[in-house]
Amino acid sequence: MGTYILRRLILMIPTLIGITFLIFMLVALSPGGIGASLRMGGGQMEATNRALFEAYLEDRYGLDDPAVVQYVRWLGRISPIKIGRRDMVSPRGERLRPPKPLKEPLLWRLYAKELPTVPPPEPGVHDDPVREYRAATNNYAQKRAAFIATRTQLEEAFAAYARQKEIRGVLTPGGKLKPDALARRIDTIDTSLPIGQTVAERGAAHLAAWAAASAARERLRIAFNAKPFPEAGLAIIPGVLSVAWPDFGVSFSRNVPVLDLIGRALPVTLLLNLIAFPIIYLVAVPSGMLAATRQGSLIDTLSGSLYVALWSVPTVWAGVLAIGFLASKQYLGLFPVVGLHDTHAATFTFLPGTDESGVWHRGYLLDTLWHLCLPVACLVYTGFAVLSKQTRAAMLDNFNADYVRTAKAKGVAGKDIVLRHVFRNSLLPVITMFATIFPAMLAGSVVIEKIFTIPGMGNLILDGIHLRDRELVLANALMIGTVNLLALLLADILYAVADPRITYD
Amino acid sequence: MAQAGNTQPVRTAPESISGVALMQGYGVREAKGFWADAWSQVLARPRAVAGLIWIGIVLFFAITAPFIASGHPLLLDHIKDGAIVRTTSPLWQHLTATDILLPIAAVAGLAWLAWPMAMPHSRRLTVFLLALLQGGLIIVTCNIVGAEFRYPHVPDWMRSLQQRSGFIPVTAGIIAGVYALIFIAASAFDRRAPRIAVPVLVSLTCWAVITGFGGLGVNRWDPPLHTFNYRQAEARGEVRAVYTLIPFSPNQRSTQLDLLPPGMTLKKGLGEDADTVAGDPTFFLGTDSLGQDVLSQMLHACRLSISIGLVSTGIAVCIGVTIGALMGYFGGWVDLVLFRVVEVFMAIPVLFLLIVAAAVLPRNTYVMMAIIGCVTWTGAARFIRAEFLKLRGQDFVQSAKAVGLPLRSILFRHMLPNGVTPVLVDASFAIAAAILAEATLSFLGLGPVDQASWGRLLSDAQGHTGYFVWWLAIFPGLAIFLTVLSYNLVGEALRDAIDPKLKKARV
Repeated sequence: MGTYILRRLILMIPTLIGITFLIFMLVALSPGGIGASLRMGGGQMEATNRALFEAYLEDRYGLDDPAVVQYVRWLGRISPIKIGRRDMVSPRGERLRPPKPLKEPLLWRLYAKELPTVPPPEPGVHDDPVREYRAATNNYAQKRAAFIATRTQLEEAFAAYARQKEIRGVLTPGGKLKPDALARRIDTIDTSLPIGQTVAERGAAHLAAWAAASAARERLRIAFNAKPFPEAGLAIIPGVLSVAWPDFGVSFSRNVPVLDLIGRALPVTLLLNLIAFPIIYLVAVPSGMLAATRQGSLIDTLSGSLYVALWSVPTVWAGVLAIGFLASKQYLGLFPVVGLHDTHAATFTFLPGTDESGVWHRGYLLDTLWHLCLPVACLVYTGFAVLSKQTRAAMLDNFNADYVRTAKAKGVAGKDIVLRHVFRNSLLPVITMFATIFPAMLAGSVVIEKIFTIPGMGNLILDGIHLRDRELVLANALMIGTVNLLALLLADILYAVADPRITYD
Repeated sequence: MAQAGNTQPVRTAPESISGVALMQGYGVREAKGFWADAWSQVLARPRAVAGLIWIGIVLFFAITAPFIASGHPLLLDHIKDGAIVRTTSPLWQHLTATDILLPIAAVAGLAWLAWPMAMPHSRRLTVFLLALLQGGLIIVTCNIVGAEFRYPHVPDWMRSLQQRSGFIPVTAGIIAGVYALIFIAASAFDRRAPRIAVPVLVSLTCWAVITGFGGLGVNRWDPPLHTFNYRQAEARGEVRAVYTLIPFSPNQRSTQLDLLPPGMTLKKGLGEDADTVAGDPTFFLGTDSLGQDVLSQMLHACRLSISIGLVSTGIAVCIGVTIGALMGYFGGWVDLVLFRVVEVFMAIPVLFLLIVAAAVLPRNTYVMMAIIGCVTWTGAARFIRAEFLKLRGQDFVQSAKAVGLPLRSILFRHMLPNGVTPVLVDASFAIAAAILAEATLSFLGLGPVDQASWGRLLSDAQGHTGYFVWWLAIFPGLAIFLTVLSYNLVGEALRDAIDPKLKKARV
């Protein structure tokens, strides 16, 4: 059994990689691409500032790399086994990595023969490694900003040059430069024109800024190598192999560690589902048994029809009707409309009671249950049909078995035949239904949370997708996939527990 | 797929039956075909029949909605100085190629199936489905090409080409010709396939309709009448109009008319401005938050509902059958690798994947169908895999292999007809699931834009500012529910008829 579980757990890894890769590529290849909302953030800025802002974001989140590289880097970050040097952890809990290589100056072959030699790294100012690291970081940020600013100016000059020389196909409809296209079209700049002069001047400034930024980067690298902060994880072979807690990164859109967001949302979704599951089983299994014992009777037909009808009710419709007629103040107003808690829930006592002035209040627990009534009701009813049908079919199969006839012949009471003999043997398919229902419920709760504005995984996922938040989408996909696969594994283990004949060895 | 019925009448039995008479076929009743038998069992169930009737109603409105509910008058008399100058039909002018081809296909299809001739019904149905497929492909390709040419950032040569008068006939001709050639080639290789006349006939019809009704999205008659100002013009005495049964188009909106309850009329809705319009039609099911008629939208949404269920399930079955067949036939590492792919799709809730895909991909009907099809194929793949694992050891497969038939023939000619039953039974439930998925996505605001949809109407029910609009919750929700229920009932009856042992339920 142990080996079986271990093998299943290991087989989960390629599946999870497949899931996250599929979802990441979907988001990355869509119009706007990863981090579209981030780039929108600089909407009102002037061109240079906007370029600086974009460059900062691209540098921080690695958005300028190809999608596959971004994905592989993400895999490296969440992998608990790290190869190579270990990350450092800043006092704020962020992972620090060595600075990324600087990009080459823009189209330097057009205006310079060779790259300028990089000056030796600036000497450190502070003796304390932490202060030195911070100073070097600031210094590098400034130098890189200057480098990017000259790049933007150079781009504008190139664009003006292309317009004047009427080089077609190198400008976007918005008038921006497509550097690759320009590099393919020409190989020198005509400096006899005034605009060619401008390009050369700005190109020289760009090269100088590049050299300065490279020197600053070298200083930062030295400061980083001095290890100012503690390193993450545990070394197995120092410098080569280490283990560390997976780093899910920081959400682009909310600037909060993704794990914190999931840590708040996942319990809510699991709470919904964990309340819903016992209800489904408690209603559907007895009614399926009842239908099976009275096969062909009115109860059987009616419950069958009712369940098919319930199964066909769209969850969104049930939610809208429940909110509209039961919760909205326009009609009955019996239940709260949104959320999981009252707005003043933080001040409530846990259990219901009366306060000192003798007024009864419902307390935190009852308040939460009251808020959960409608969402759970909308979540459970689709499961009834599937499970009840399965129970009925399994029971009917067993009613025709020989051992039932034997039991009848030796005079076992009808109740005992149903409960002790038939029911126990019909448990198997009922348990495996868990594996079928659970993914559907998990997805159904996405919709329910959206309708009832419950801050669970569903809302988190929808937000992450709408904002193209790479870290949030990937972490959510991983989390949902893991929960789902674990549920499937659990169903298989229960299968073996319920039926001693089944072994997985 | 009903087989040709029993053509040989049962003779009255003579007093003594000789062996010779028995051999000649006395008292022999030709057995019904497998599907005909299953079908008659389905029809014996009142619930399934009710479901079929509802699907028929939805199908009827899917075909006829543009003729029943339109804000464009059926007839418009232009009046000058009290005399009728000319009479036009704006409704006719605003029909699209699809609007015209669907009724043609329905009438021609019914005639083709009901015409008394020797060809068995099953083959006629195959021919009809192939013709429908060809027509649908031509229309979809034309729409995609048209959209490509109307894209705002197209190069100048594309725009100038699009404005030529010969653009529509030539482009539609090329597309129809290519499809005709493909289908003719297919029919030459497949001895069961229809005659060459059918592909050519379908192509010619499509070409004529697209050319006449602007399937490439270019205004064909000037002046374009998109403003729905007929009622104002009528009140001023410039025109006289005759409307259809429901005189509103699904996209005819007015901010003055938002969220009118059922039974409200146009003049009451307009209040002070009532004198500026002629006529006083009723909004039978009210209006939505944009001031669009709900009944008209619901009728026009039938087409989306029918097409999304059928097309996306068709895509899913095609992908699933191919992959499942490969997995089941080869086994071994092919099975291992492909089953990991299936597992990836199983490990993530379908709805979650649908939400991601629908949120990031372009919002139109075709993409929506493709998304639902590409996400839900795993069920069909697993069924086919299980069947093929059973079948591949059997003698007829072994002998087909020994004879040296090509793989395509072994898989799809010999094995598939013996293993496809569970997939076809499952397809009915898959259609119901696809309709539910579309409704959910539209409800979440991820559905096709500029397209009437029951799910989108339902999402309006929560209204702005939390005001609950009951008529937007009840009617579209009921339509989705009844459609899904119908497919589920038919599917259940079909499952019981074909395989009483197949009791696996679907979620």
